[in-house]
Parts: sequence; structure tokens; C-alpha cells
Amino acid sequence: MSTLLGWFSKACIIVFLIVMAIITLLPVGLAILNSFKTNGEIYTNILSLPTTWQINNYLDVFRRTHYLRSLWNTVFLVTLSVSGIVLASSLAGYKLARTKSKLSHALFVIFILSMLIPFHSIMIGLVRVANQLNVQGKLWGLALIYVGIGSPMAIFLYHGFTKNVPQEIEEAAMIDGCNGLQLYFRIVFPLLRPITFTIVILNTLWIWNDFLLPLLMISNREKHTLLLSTQALFGQYSANWSQILAILIMAMLPVMVVYLFIQKHIVSGIAEGALKS
Amino acid sequence: MKHKNRSLLLYCFPALLLYATFVLYPAVGGFWYSLTNWNGLNPTYDYVGFANYRELLNDQVFHRSLRFTFRYVAYMVVLQNILALTLAIIIENLRRFKGLFRTIFFFPNMISMIVGGFIWLFIFTRAFPFFANSLGIAILGESWIGNPQYAFYSILILSLWGSVGYLMVIYIAALQNIPKPLLENARIDGANEWQINWHVVRPLIAHSITIGMFIALFSSFKVFDQVYALTGGGPGRATQVVSLNIFTEAFAMRSRYGYASAKAVILFLIIMVITCVQLLIMKRKEVEL
Repeated sequence: MSTLLGWFSKACIIVFLIVMAIITLLPVGLAILNSFKTNGEIYTNILSLPTTWQINNYLDVFRRTHYLRSLWNTVFLVTLSVSGIVLASSLAGYKLARTKSKLSHALFVIFILSMLIPFHSIMIGLVRVANQLNVQGKLWGLALIYVGIGSPMAIFLYHGFTKNVPQEIEEAAMIDGCNGLQLYFRIVFPLLRPITFTIVILNTLWIWNDFLLPLLMISNREKHTLLLSTQALFGQYSANWSQILAILIMAMLPVMVVYLFIQKHIVSGIAEGALKS
Repeated sequence: MKHKNRSLLLYCFPALLLYATFVLYPAVGGFWYSLTNWNGLNPTYDYVGFANYRELLNDQVFHRSLRFTFRYVAYMVVLQNILALTLAIIIENLRRFKGLFRTIFFFPNMISMIVGGFIWLFIFTRAFPFFANSLGIAILGESWIGNPQYAFYSILILSLWGSVGYLMVIYIAALQNIPKPLLENARIDGANEWQINWHVVRPLIAHSITIGMFIALFSSFKVFDQVYALTGGGPGRATQVVSLNIFTEAFAMRSRYGYASAKAVILFLIIMVITCVQLLIMKRKEVEL
């Protein structure tokens, strides 16, 4: 009896898991399927296979979104921002952990404090500052802002990680005549690699998928990121779902491809980042 | 000592400069603007004291968006954690396909909620009516975007879809940190699965639950993309969450930067008080266990 009950509850759990998995995948699956159909076909049967695969949806969208341009803008923005975050935060986080002084402690607290400020509470002031400094509408300007907003979290992670790195290696290198920044780039930064990896993943995901800040800062279409051009076109193609779905799939494509290849690293990076903070 | 601090400042300089310019200064600025009547277009503005805050007391639209946000946060914190923890426990106990299911459930996290929101808009407005007709499920035939009652659940479904995997990954990591002999001993002592989960696993992952609650709380108070993409705050302003309300006040409709800043200050205070209270309570509970 008890084994029968055990078997039954196990079956229920497996069914639950599979149903949840289907619900998770179905929206994207349906979007992909219907992006190859005509509007008429979508309207009559959402589950049917396309009679002819409408590659044209994609070709049309590819031209009209200036896909490669907005993809490049996004890659440029993310690369610049993440490099900036890694460089600025590793320098600061490492030195803060190695220096024991009141100033060091105060600086650390100042950096950490802001992690509770929601973005919406700074966005109005931010738009004004960006205007005054004339960085609005520029991708490199947007990257600088991302470094400012992203640094506290990264500094916190670098700080925590550095505390567990034995200091003897640095001391030995110092005796060998390494000094200051040389010591940092040759010896310290390579030692920080595991946490750098986590920080790169966390921040790439965040900035790649961030929408509101670029919306506030970038109005020029030539500077549009993937999300901005997706949103702009969504308005233009009102209710023309076959084209819209093609746009959406194209917008997800880079992330999906990357995820398929390095999903293990991404998932472990995410878990590590969250549990450490 | 002086030398030490000087080199510290040197190393911190790039981060500190950008952080001060793009976070601290706008944050302080935001508080100052909340005491003015600045409208974003005029170069000049006047100090008006707490007039903006007094106006907020009677702003029914803002009150409604606060209530809506609180309701959303309450649902999210509970459902997101329950679902994530359930999935994590089930997946950790699987003998095969662990990696596959983890990959599937985490997948929506990779997608921007703007794109995810548009995809779900397609599901709610096209797929739901289709399934309602072909499968005869009446509830799917409701107006999931146009009816405020249902629009709330649409936003909830989209948000859960996009965020459960994240917490699940955290809970899986926490479960993997539990020493295996502990569970085996409990099993040998005759405890069943429920008892093991409740008496052995739960206390050991209490800290991760604190983190999970904190993440869910903090992120759902700031919800923006999901609502922006799915309903745009509509119908009317029925689903306008606080962040969208501030955004609309400042950038979309009336350019009332001063008044919008006052709202932003209120949002900040609410988030700070609630997350602090949550952390205090949960920390105390962790100690008790």
C-alpha cells in the first residue's frame, strides 16, 4: 500500500514538473512557430504548422529594424559597460579589502548604502545630470552611467572575494620588486578571475536586458539598442503579429544562442552572486 | 598611514567618481527637486517646501497605484518563493534530467521582460482565445489585458514566468550545500520525505529563504518592464504600478519633475522600511531555528 502511494505521489510530482516545463517553454515555442506564418494562418489556428514557411517575415524585419546596427550598438554598450565595471570595481574592491583604516571602512559603507536605492528614485536627477554633462544620447555616456550604477554590487563581491585570497603571494611579489599597479595587473587581477567571471555574467545579463535607462538616455534611432528598436517597431506594426513575432525572436536570438552554449556557467554564476550578497 | 589612504583613494577614484556623479548626486538631487515646483522644461524653479508631499496625500491615482503595487508585491513574494522552492526540491531529488529541467526553468530569465512581455501579450490576446474556443476552457476567453481584474493576473503570470527560475537556481545551490549524511541519518531514523524537508532541510536553508524573500521583495517593488510591455498601465490607469506612475508623471505626460521626485522619495522610503523590517524579522527567525 505504502509503495503504491509512494509510486502515485511520485507520478504526480513528475506530471507537475512536466506541465510546468511546458508552460515555461510554450510562449516562446508558439512565438517561434507563428513567426513563420501569415497573419491569416495565425488567426485561424495558432497550433498549425505554416503551409509555407514565411522567411519573408524575418527578411522584412531584418531590414526595417536595422538589426545589425542595433545588435552592434548593444554589444558595444554592454562590452564597454562591463569592462568599465570590472576595472573600476576590482581596483576599488581589492584595495578596500586590503586597507585597514577608518577611511576604507567609510568608503565601503558609502558604496554599499546605495544598493537599497531603487533606480526610479534617481532617474529624474540622472536625466538632469546626463543633460548637464552632455552625455545624454551617447552610448559611451550610457556606459559610464552603467559603471556608476553597477559598481557598488561588484565592489561588494570583489571585497568579499579578496578577503579570502592569501596575502602572502602579493607580499612575495612585492619583495621581488613588483609595485603598485604592476602588482595589481600582474598578480592580483588574475587571482580574482573566478569572481570576475561571476561579475561579468551578472552585469552582462543586466545591461543587455535593461530597458528603462536606455529609453531615458537614447532617442536617436541610429543609437538604438536591440530592445529600443524592438519597442519602437512594436508600435509601428500594431497587431501585425507575424512580423512582430519575428522581431521578438530576433531580439532574443543572441541571448538564446549564448545560453545554449554556456548555460552551466551562467546558472552557477547567478547562484554564486546572489548567495554571496 | 597617510600614504596608505592616498593609494586607497587612487584605486577607488574611478568607481567613486562615476558612482558619485551618476548615483549619489542624482539621489540627493531627487530629494531636493521634490521640494520644488520644477517642471523639467523651465530652466528656473522655486522652492515650495512640502507642497508636493501635501498634494500626494490627496492624489487618488497615486494611492491606487500604491495599493496595486502592494498587492502585486504580496502575491509575488509568496508565489515566487513557493514555486521556486518547490521546483528546486523536486529537481534536486530527481535521479535523471536534473540539468535539463534546471535549464528549462531558468531560460525565461535570460529574456528581457520587454520582449517576454510582448510575447505574453501575444499569448493572452491570441493564444488564450484560441484555446478557449478549441478546448472549451471558458476562463481563457476572458479579456486578460482589457479587464483590470484579469490584467493583474496577466502581469503576475508574466512576472512569475520571468523570475521563478532565478530564485530556483539560488535554492538549488542552497540545497546542494546541505551535507548528505545528515539526510541519510534522518532517513535511517525513519523520517519520511515531508518530515525530512520540514525538520532537516528547512532550518538549513533558512538563510537562503531570507535572501529569496529579500530579492523577491526588492525586485517586485521596482517592477516596470513587465507592466510597460504588457498593459502599459492600462486599461485606463488600472494597472499602473508606482514606478510607471513616476515615469509617466515625469517623462510621458506632464513633465512635473518636482512632483514626480516627491513620489520617488516616497517609493524609496517604503522600500527601505519594508526591506529593513523583513531582514530584521527573518534574521531573528533564522537564529531561533
